[in-house]
Amino acid sequence: MELLFNLTLNGLATGMLIFLLAAGLTLIFGLMDVLNFAHGGLFAWGAYSGTWIYTTTGSFLIGIIGAIVTGFLLGIITEKWIIKPVYGNHVQQILITLGLMLVLSEMLKVIWGPNQLTANTPEYLSGSWEIGNMIIIKYRVFIIVVGLLVFAGVQFLLKKTKIGLVVRAGVMNKEMVQALGINIKKVFMFVFMIGSGMAALGGVLFGPYSGVIHAGMGMEFAILAFIVVVIGGMGNFTGSVMAAILVGLSGSFMAYYVPELSLAVNMLLMAVVLIVKPQGLFGGKG
Amino acid sequence: MKWIVNNRLNTIYMIIAVFLVILPFVYESRNMLILLTQIFVFAILAMSYDLLLGFTGIVSFGHAMFFGIGAYSIGIFMKRFEPTMLHFIYAVLATILITAIVSFIVGLLTLRLKSHFYAMLTMALAGLFLVLAEKWRTLTFGNDGFTFRVPELFIDRTNFYIICLLSMIAVFMILKRFTNSPLGRVLQAVRENEQRTESLGYQVLHYKIAASVVSGVLAGIAGIFYAMSLRYVNTSVFAMDITLDALLMTIIGGVGTLVGAIIGAGLIEFAHDGLTELAKEHWIFERWIIFFGIIYILVVIFFPLGIVGTLKKFTWKRVKHTAKKKENIAG
Repeated sequence: MELLFNLTLNGLATGMLIFLLAAGLTLIFGLMDVLNFAHGGLFAWGAYSGTWIYTTTGSFLIGIIGAIVTGFLLGIITEKWIIKPVYGNHVQQILITLGLMLVLSEMLKVIWGPNQLTANTPEYLSGSWEIGNMIIIKYRVFIIVVGLLVFAGVQFLLKKTKIGLVVRAGVMNKEMVQALGINIKKVFMFVFMIGSGMAALGGVLFGPYSGVIHAGMGMEFAILAFIVVVIGGMGNFTGSVMAAILVGLSGSFMAYYVPELSLAVNMLLMAVVLIVKPQGLFGGKG
Repeated sequence: MKWIVNNRLNTIYMIIAVFLVILPFVYESRNMLILLTQIFVFAILAMSYDLLLGFTGIVSFGHAMFFGIGAYSIGIFMKRFEPTMLHFIYAVLATILITAIVSFIVGLLTLRLKSHFYAMLTMALAGLFLVLAEKWRTLTFGNDGFTFRVPELFIDRTNFYIICLLSMIAVFMILKRFTNSPLGRVLQAVRENEQRTESLGYQVLHYKIAASVVSGVLAGIAGIFYAMSLRYVNTSVFAMDITLDALLMTIIGGVGTLVGAIIGAGLIEFAHDGLTELAKEHWIFERWIIFFGIIYILVVIFFPLGIVGTLKKFTWKRVKHTAKKKENIAG
């Protein structure tokens, strides 16, 4: 029972981290038709900059804020200088974002060195609660709470605000939105910024969760995020959270019972979704 | 006019090929020989990549997967059994079979969808193969890899150089023929306008899968040569770096030209070599990927045609120009 509970908690926490990465990916794809292969790089940048700020200032909160700001800035730069020049050309977009991924992860090694960094858990979040025989690690609960808050926040933004309305309309039909006199370029920039910020937040939260961060982790998580985006449906925000939890749970349970197969199971899931329902498990629209 | 231009090009190719064949007998440098062999091997990989990216418009981010399958096939066959020609042929057959099956499945799954899916699935699958090679220690010896002996014919460096060179020329000619065949024409039509090709009555999916399979098999063969040149194989053959190298070579050389892939392979391999030397001078050169990444981004934005593509554009303009002049004079 405790085992099941712990595995579930672990899976949920991992799922939330993947969700933070995948949500931005899927939103950007839905609105702009750009699959950002550099998204994992933003995740790693969030982790490094956040951890660095946290260790220098000693405040985890400032670290988180710093990571999000880094994400915002990198998002703006990416959108303006990398994506915009090749807008509308799919092949070039795919190629160029991969190039950016390369530069981003190498830059990390130039600035912070090629070795992995250790990331400590802040004191008020370390340790665990004991209820009966169950041990609940505080930090995992913290990640889940933050993930849910972000989900709720973005959901609110999408459903209840003016800009959310424009974004949702843009996902359905870009040309129509433009024809109504809305500058969709600005909306693109905004969505890119939010998506990058979420990825960076995921990165900084990941640091204390695993204890160490390294430059290659962006790629590892990006692959999981792609799987999530496919399973949840490209451009489907609510689908992405469900799929992220699914992938996180399957990852944590498989890692315990058959560790060799944990990535293979997720891949298999993705393959099945691609055959049966390429528009995603949780979406109607293709 | 076109016939003459092509013919002149063919003559140039022949001269270069003959020069490269003679080179090892005239100029004796072991390092140069190894570097050139490496270039030929990667040229095969880059050409196979060009068939996808340049001729069909499919982006693959997991080409290392096919390359690695080839490298491990030869390694395992040579290690497990006697290093004879017979087992070499078995290894080649195994590579062809496995790469064909994998590329067929990947193609079948994703090529009917938007181009992002193929890139994503190949990237994820390559990651899966990397994990598999790390975990299946009884067969692959994990991260450390293993050394193996090669058949007698391939032991001599000069022999191996000639064999790689001839294979590269063979692949070049096969792909040239392939892309100019009716099938290749349809592939180019798919690249230019998929909907239109489909509405002309072609089963676009079948053609794309065919391109994917041919490309995968050729990449596997490049992997065989790569492992044989090192006589050693480890998990790095599945790493993203291999895919990136193929991508860079194709893009910088010029997509959709085949020769561009060869030139790109030469440039990138020489650059690798030079930057490794420079790394002794200053640590920033150890991070050479960053330079490649920046160059790559700039090329995609400003020179999407690459070296050969840009050159071609200019020569075609010139040819048209002179043709017009002659017309004017005649008229």
